[in-house]
Amino acid sequence: MSFRWDIIFEYAPFLLKGTLLTIGLSVSSILIGTFLGLLIGLGKIMKNKVLAFPFYGYVTVFRGTPLLVQIFLIHFGIVPFFTGETNAVTAGVIALSLNAAAYIAEIFRAGIQSIDKGQMEGARSLGMTHAQTMIHIVLPQAFKRMIPPLGNEFIVLLKDSSLLCVIAAPELMYWGKAMGSQYFKVWEPYLACAFIYLFLTLILSFVLNRLERRLKTE
Amino acid sequence: MIKVENLKKSFGENDVLKNINAIVSPREVVVVIGPSGSGKSTFLRCINQLETITGGHIFIEGLDTTDKKVNINKVRTEVGMVFQHFNLFPHKTVLENIMLAPIKVRKISKEQASQRGMELLKKVGLAEKANAYPDSLSGGQKQRVAIARALAMEPKIMLFDEPTSALDPEMVGEVLEVMKQLAKEGMTMVVVTHEMGFAKEVGDRVIFMDEGYIIEENIPSEIFNNPQQERTKAFLSKVL
Ligand SMILES: Nc1ncnc2c1ncn2[C@@H]1O[C@H](COP(=O)(O)OP(=O)(O)OP(=O)(O)O)[C@@H](O)[C@H]1O
Ligand SMILES: [Mg+2]
Repeated sequence: MSFRWDIIFEYAPFLLKGTLLTIGLSVSSILIGTFLGLLIGLGKIMKNKVLAFPFYGYVTVFRGTPLLVQIFLIHFGIVPFFTGETNAVTAGVIALSLNAAAYIAEIFRAGIQSIDKGQMEGARSLGMTHAQTMIHIVLPQAFKRMIPPLGNEFIVLLKDSSLLCVIAAPELMYWGKAMGSQYFKVWEPYLACAFIYLFLTLILSFVLNRLERRLKTE
Repeated sequence: MIKVENLKKSFGENDVLKNINAIVSPREVVVVIGPSGSGKSTFLRCINQLETITGGHIFIEGLDTTDKKVNINKVRTEVGMVFQHFNLFPHKTVLENIMLAPIKVRKISKEQASQRGMELLKKVGLAEKANAYPDSLSGGQKQRVAIARALAMEPKIMLFDEPTSALDPEMVGEVLEVMKQLAKEGMTMVVVTHEMGFAKEVGDRVIFMDEGYIIEENIPSEIFNNPQQERTKAFLSKVL
């Protein structure tokens, strides 16, 4: 039994399309997830425990349940409930963003809390407000420390986007599966997918490494 | 200038300040001494409300700063603070450290802030370090920058919490020198320190604290040569 390069070439345009969607899904989920994660992380460290409680709840629920279950609930339940219909790509971005936000919130929380409280006191003693201190003093320092764990989270998110094939979002893995079932093949489609995912994560970690080094020397 | 009335502060069950009454007059240098854990830092931090007080009142220039309606950020612009561990911002240069609060809080222009910052750096003898990052400075230099940073807000009062305790012995002098200069210029200062030499030479008044109370206060020569309370005597015999 020989390796069928020809079917990979035949599927190349679809795999490429899928790859582009994978990138699009990942990038938009990373952006939305980071934004939400920052808000949720800040929410969790509020002094008022009652106000902070919903943010704790959010992180607990989204970290404590499988992403696959969240994808099904959002695609078949939540999105149709609000809009009457559903769309795999929209539902996919929502699920990935909400899930990543929980992990990113924890990264922000840990990053912020790792900054010596003398920094906050130094700035507050000069008359700066809590918000000014966060923006100019705490977050810039915390952000540097958060880059490695954020990078990990982005890579996890990129790979997890492959789960969206179960709701037929036409991303990379979806086309891999399509190819596999059309030709009853295993190695060709899934090795091709694996190779492309590996390529994407390598690029991503390269970019993150560069960013980390740039910030370190600053 | 500062009037502290029946100040109380507890951390949970732990009553750290039990009933503090004190007055600091304009241009006065008050030195606070006392054993470790007696509440000296807490006292200082209550004055600019880095700690939320449990009871009592603190008046600064007649204004009850413990009143909920008072904007504490505004009060803090008038009360500079220098910490044992400097608390400089490591991601900003020396000059940026000094310029930040005047720009963000006092809303002065960058040019003005930078000019004023350079003047202050000259004053503390560190003009050539303006563009260095704090991590590249020695402890004594860091503390002098921290003093310049606090002065940039043009405060009326300066609080010092053991400003030389984290320094190597050979750097203590340069920081005390800057503080002496400030005192000479008439700055109102409250200084927590273990430097008894500084207390004697620069202090107008010494407050001895123990277990959350002010045990004794007097002019330095009286406190050091003629302490009235047993606890003061016991403490001084250990540190002198
Ligand atoms: N944030 C805090 N939470 C709980 N307890 C605290 C806190 N800060 C201070 N304390 C307690 O308050 C007491 C007085 O502390 P404080 O730092 O005011 O003493 P100090 O006189 O400055 O001592 P030192 O000379 O060691 O600096 C100590 O028992 C300390 O454990
Ligand atoms: Mg102390």
